[in-house]
Amino acid sequence: MLIAENIYKSYRRHSVTVPVLNGLNLEVKEGEFVSIVGASGSGKSTLLHLLGILDAPDQGRILLDGKRIDNLPQRERDRLRNRTFGYIFQFYHLLPELSALDNVLMPAYIAHSVTAWWRSRQRWRSRAVDLLKKVGLGHRLTHRPRELSGGEMQRAAVARALLMQPRVLLADEPTGNLDVQSGTEIIRLLRELNRQEGITIVMVTHNLEIVAATDRVLRMSQGVLREEVFPYPYSPLPRCLTPAPSAQLT
Amino acid sequence: MTVYRLLLCLRYLQTRYLAFICIVSVMLGVATLIVVNAVMSGFSTKLKDRLHGILSDVIIDTSRIDGFVQYDALGYPLFDPEGRTIPLTPEAMISRIQASPVAGAIEAMTPTIEVFALLRFRLGMEEQTKPVRLIGIDPVGRAAVGGFREYLVRQRGTDKPSFELTPEARQRHEELQRHARLLAPPPPDPAPTISVGGLTIPPPNPQMMTQGMPQPQLHGMIPGYTIAHFRFRDEQGNVSEEPVLKPGDDATVITIGGRDLKPVWGTFIVTDYLKTEMSEYDQTFVFVPLEQLQAIRGMEGRCTALLIKLKNYEADKVRVVEELRRLFCHPEIRVATWEEHQGPLLAAIDIERGILNLLLFMIVGVAGFSILAIFTMIVSEKYRDIGILKALGASHRGVMSIFLGYGLLLGVVGCVLGTLLGLWITANINQIEAWLTQLSGRALFPRDVYYFKEIPTHVEPLAVLLINLGAVITAVVFSLLPAWRAARLHPIQALRFE
Ligand SMILES: Nc1ncnc2c1ncn2[C@@H]1O[C@H](COP(=O)(O)OP(=O)(O)O)[C@@H](O)[C@H]1O
Ligand SMILES: [Mg+2]
Repeated sequence: MLIAENIYKSYRRHSVTVPVLNGLNLEVKEGEFVSIVGASGSGKSTLLHLLGILDAPDQGRILLDGKRIDNLPQRERDRLRNRTFGYIFQFYHLLPELSALDNVLMPAYIAHSVTAWWRSRQRWRSRAVDLLKKVGLGHRLTHRPRELSGGEMQRAAVARALLMQPRVLLADEPTGNLDVQSGTEIIRLLRELNRQEGITIVMVTHNLEIVAATDRVLRMSQGVLREEVFPYPYSPLPRCLTPAPSAQLT
Repeated sequence: MTVYRLLLCLRYLQTRYLAFICIVSVMLGVATLIVVNAVMSGFSTKLKDRLHGILSDVIIDTSRIDGFVQYDALGYPLFDPEGRTIPLTPEAMISRIQASPVAGAIEAMTPTIEVFALLRFRLGMEEQTKPVRLIGIDPVGRAAVGGFREYLVRQRGTDKPSFELTPEARQRHEELQRHARLLAPPPPDPAPTISVGGLTIPPPNPQMMTQGMPQPQLHGMIPGYTIAHFRFRDEQGNVSEEPVLKPGDDATVITIGGRDLKPVWGTFIVTDYLKTEMSEYDQTFVFVPLEQLQAIRGMEGRCTALLIKLKNYEADKVRVVEELRRLFCHPEIRVATWEEHQGPLLAAIDIERGILNLLLFMIVGVAGFSILAIFTMIVSEKYRDIGILKALGASHRGVMSIFLGYGLLLGVVGCVLGTLLGLWITANINQIEAWLTQLSGRALFPRDVYYFKEIPTHVEPLAVLLINLGAVITAVVFSLLPAWRAARLHPIQALRFE
């Protein structure tokens, strides 16, 4: 469904060009839960940004359902980001001035004019409340981000990513800043969403336990992705829930 | 307009205390402009009233010293057999106007004679001489064209002002006469006889100075208040006034004859004062009865100006002036409205106000720069949020309009508060001034300088509107740059920032 074809991306810094992605190829199937591992600085975030058309590749194409999306006009890219992709970031990236509920509603606020909003606000609100309940924040609707713990913030961010019923979730180290317990809960949530609602998920992570819970693991190195031959036997999800020292893949 | 722009504008307003600096600076700018405009406008309307004050709506006057005269077809004055010009009498002028199509627009007319003169009176042992503008009027007729009886000190507002002496004034006058007779004239000093080349010049006869001067007659005179009063600061530094010409005192006016240019004089007795609170008028005007001035100057049946009051000045001024110019068409005759008479002064007030507004608008400019600085800070503080919004699908325009809207909102809130503050200060300016004076022990508004009992104010809705508009536009313009910077921000750059 989501395809990256022969992607090149480099950053220029003071006339020095740093190549990050070198002819990368990736195909994510509908309903798949893919995780990407790799050394820090290897270009994982860059890839997610390109997939989610937050940034444009130097070369190569991004295709969604066989249609090229990386060169769409600005308006349509904004729309795709709003409707089709959901983002989860390592640092939650909630807006500090808004309550958890308003943060979750933000994609809908962006999509609607004031008048259109007025007509559909009840529906959106109840959807947002449902999502917050689903991620276990039903009692935290009016709290500001700084009044929430890291795990709670990340759950609010997941709820926000889900609000517009996106087809693809792009998660950049969603557990990177969380303790094992909270991280595990997030992953379980994602896994559930993937299984029950068939949302396609591309996730960057460092956590071995988490990797074990996904369908496919890819390793980023030298600017391309390779299938990771996972060194450990496949571990079913429940194992994640037992607190275990998280090994770091580097 | 999408929901998030509105929401974030409002939220940023609620949560950024820095924004209050912007609001306060806009508020202060707007309030200052409103107060200053109200006071300037108050001064200028009051000044305009006063400038109009003593002038009638329309004035016909002549540059000739002998008043209006009749002209022949070529525009040369007509002469009688004795070689005198033939007057165009006030009655003839009035009936000519009354026969014209604009007669219906005119409420009252009165002839006057205006001439420069010297006013001479005794102050203790000294002689005082002051240059004045001597105006001969018919008091009732003059009152009818407006701007006269309301300025009289004693006869203020009476229907029929006159030059009559009050009994007390008459008594004082008689007493003074008696004193003068009792006091023997000082003996002549034995001045030596000078001889120049065999010619002997006799010593000056002191009596010559008063010889030929008519005995004071009971003709009244209304001098300007300042002429008749001496102002000084006493030991405590307070301003005091001492009348130097009391009702009943006499004074001599010396001017030139209307027939031939030789000096003439007459003596009048002070009966009342003119107090317009326009220092120029109060310092120079001296009113005397028209017939008496005509008699002194040999100008019987003549006048130098015709004062006209219109029923509806604003509506009819153009029409009437045009018609009068047609009726009295001669280079020596001028027809003008009071505004044309005061033209330069009125223009000066407007120019002064324009410049002051320009300078004061710089305050709003300063507010604009504080918005620029603070917005730039807020935008860099909000880098990450902008990235998030863009990742969630916000457009360039959307992000830009958050900050423009924020600027607009700050501007509007600042303007509303500033307008309220400005109007409040304007409404209470005299109490505030009194309080500040008490606090600082120094008069901020010395009444004796300005002649106003209180600070005049006049709020013009249009000016308030323009000030508000200007301030809001300034706020938006100064938030353009930070807003544009925010919109251009690349989401990736913003999101990496942690
Ligand atoms: N905006 C940028 N300008 C310059 N270099 C960048 C920029 N963003 C990322 N890079 C560089 O690109 C490389 C890949 O970064 P990133 O995709 O964030 O790696 P990862 O997420 O795998 O840790 C890093 O070396 C980083 O320094
Ligand atoms: Mg990264």
